[in-house]
Amino acid sequence: MSLVLNDVTVSRGVGPVISNVSLEVKPGQITTLVGPNGAGKTSLIEAIAGVITPSGGTIVMDDVDITKLSKRKRSRAGLSIVEQGRMIFPSLTVKENLQLTARTKADMDEALALFPELEKRLNNQSILLSGGEQQMVVLARAFAAKPKYLLLDEMSLGLAPVVFMRLLPVIEGIAKSGVGVLLVEQFAHLALKIAQDSVVVTSGRVSYQGDPKALLKDAELLRQKYMG
Amino acid sequence: MREDFGPPAHDSLSRYFPYTLQERTEKMIIVNGFAGLTQGAFFAIIGILLTLMSQLTRVVNFSQLAVGMFGGFVGMTLMMNPDIQLNIWLALVVSIVISAALSGIIGWIIATWLPSAPISNRSAVTVAALLLIVSTASVLFGANHSNFTPIVSGNVTQFTIPGGQIVFVSQSLVALLALAFVILIASSILLKRTMFGVRLRAISDRQSAAELIGVNVKVLNVGVWVISGALISLAIGFVPATISNDYISFSLLIIGGSAAALVGAFKNPWLALVGGLLIGALQGVCSAIPQIAPYRDWVVFILILVFLLWNQRKEVWDVAR
Repeated sequence: MSLVLNDVTVSRGVGPVISNVSLEVKPGQITTLVGPNGAGKTSLIEAIAGVITPSGGTIVMDDVDITKLSKRKRSRAGLSIVEQGRMIFPSLTVKENLQLTARTKADMDEALALFPELEKRLNNQSILLSGGEQQMVVLARAFAAKPKYLLLDEMSLGLAPVVFMRLLPVIEGIAKSGVGVLLVEQFAHLALKIAQDSVVVTSGRVSYQGDPKALLKDAELLRQKYMG
Repeated sequence: MREDFGPPAHDSLSRYFPYTLQERTEKMIIVNGFAGLTQGAFFAIIGILLTLMSQLTRVVNFSQLAVGMFGGFVGMTLMMNPDIQLNIWLALVVSIVISAALSGIIGWIIATWLPSAPISNRSAVTVAALLLIVSTASVLFGANHSNFTPIVSGNVTQFTIPGGQIVFVSQSLVALLALAFVILIASSILLKRTMFGVRLRAISDRQSAAELIGVNVKVLNVGVWVISGALISLAIGFVPATISNDYISFSLLIIGGSAAALVGAFKNPWLALVGGLLIGALQGVCSAIPQIAPYRDWVVFILILVFLLWNQRKEVWDVAR
């Protein structure tokens, strides 16, 4: 039981941006996907979530091939994504944002337990929140859906490192609750610290797959893998 | 002596026409301005529906009125057919169902094949649908058709303005205004108090993100189209027979409705209501002044122009800032 990518190729415009990538995200674990800008990390995440269709390979979630499923069906099957750029619904209140995915009040309460500071902002329009709070809403909303697998794409984008540090333990907590997390992150050293598995992608290909601690210990190895 | 021959000629005339031309024109302006409110209320409903659709489905639906008109003609044909002679209320139900279905089909086409297209492309499809419906109506119902039979007629009340002129308040005006308010209040409750509305607002904010969290965007979008088609058909049922309803001129009332929506910048349906009434009243006023009566339809154009210039002025100010 895991989220498995087999030889996934994603093409955009003139050619492939991701070539034959295979990886596995296990339940209860954080797999960190790192790489330089333009390596194809976001394209890969979008292919898993169904935003774009892979031109090759398969995506299998808990032994079910989801490669051809629509975004909505993937979401219903237990896949949640936190996209880049704080994708709140700005005209909705915090509570309404959470209600979109929470099926029961218990789901909502569990999501709010991740970020108690949101409780007093429940009836505020989400556009009026700070960047960090907006990202909390997005993460809580994704968790309220009770996902089996959670895709997190560059959550730290536009956030102060101190704010991002507040999110990291929450991501760890989500993984400990049994959710498989695929974490794409620009702050590689922070992401690798909380991960159990790591993948480095360079120019659309996997240049490293294995223990994140090895990359953390050996700065030269990390640099080499980043450069391809 | 002059008195021996009675009052002067103009005094004698004034017995029959007690007001000067200017006074009569002023009174006609009030009477016609009020009469224009009926068409204005219809513009307002079109404007409100255009605004809601634009916000919720990212489309300026130029086919809206044509869809309602098509349903109306089907209902009326069934009413007039000597073999069927459908009751007026049943005919209205048939009209509403057909308009809703037709609108739903257009919505489905756009939601299926142009889900992420820009608003201009999606709106262009509705122009094509407008032309298709008008030409189909022409083929199906022929060139010589009767006017719609409104489901309400006559006046609710009348009152006299200073000077003795009588102003009538038609049932059509009351019904159309009531429908406009019902749409505004019901849509506000629906959007703010129900999960259906919350999902619609989420789609309106970020369609792709809504889909990614499992919202059934396509079904909800088509639902908005269906409801819009049903409502415009119901509104047409209240339109008095005095409003021209040959296929083309009736379908083109969408321009007046668009101007009403423009008053609310396609964002505020309450301002669309005000805009619709304003346009109707202004057109009525113009028709009371013989010198400008032939140009009464220019009101819509002038209003659109003024609004766009006003908007541009703000943009220039923003750039300067």
